[in-house]
Amino acid sequence: MEHAVKLNFPSDPRYLGVVRGAIERFASLAGFDEEDCRWITLAVHEALTNVIRHAYQNRHDQPVEMRLSERDGGIEVLMVDHGKGVKPEQMSGRDLEDVRPGGLGLHMIREIMDKAVYSPLEGRNELLLFKVKGSKPSVGE
Amino acid sequence: MNIATRQNGTSTVVDVKGDIDLYNSPEVRKVILEELKEKKTARVIVNLSGVRYIDSSGVASLVEGLKVSRTLASRFMLYGLSPAAREVLELSRLIRVFEVYASEEEALKAQ
Repeated sequence: MEHAVKLNFPSDPRYLGVVRGAIERFASLAGFDEEDCRWITLAVHEALTNVIRHAYQNRHDQPVEMRLSERDGGIEVLMVDHGKGVKPEQMSGRDLEDVRPGGLGLHMIREIMDKAVYSPLEGRNELLLFKVKGSKPSVGE
Repeated sequence: MNIATRQNGTSTVVDVKGDIDLYNSPEVRKVILEELKEKKTARVIVNLSGVRYIDSSGVASLVEGLKVSRTLASRFMLYGLSPAAREVLELSRLIRVFEVYASEEEALKAQ
């Protein structure tokens, strides 16, 4: 049997804390240290807020599916929504030298995760995130 | 999340407790901008010692406060960053643009 946890929840920001709790505990069970658990939780949370804000355009009653799996020495997160998709080439983080609010989420996801593959499909969008144990994001002071 | 303001001398301290995320960052933004824009507070100090978690929308609220404070020639400071909050600001390369202090006393003493 696959070692995975599936979550189904509405696109309501009230549940973000609940979902973060599940991700952090799953990452811990998968063997990540405390710091990595925080990073993974942040990346998945940012991806989820992008779904709420952009795919569902802040509608709070839309379905989100998430599957957390232990795979290939790491953690894999598959997030599925049925909202508005964007072309992958249109997804770009902003220049970090430009200090202004917004546009940070995508940068965080890419820095933290080893793999982030977004697929706009017919009637659904999939985001596959993967992080292997031991890889660290480049945190610059 | 709970947010409250209090006076300490001529400064206003914004005490935030709990997680700052997409659900409640609009409230953080509202309180900070109210202090700066409407109350014209010369020095706003945000106490993050009770914040366990902050996401990009929370960071955006702080950046907005910083930018408004620069426009108004007032001060905008942070103190009491948890490891998680510091990591997020470092990851977004923003730790350098904020005035960050270890304690309220240090922030109040800063010239």
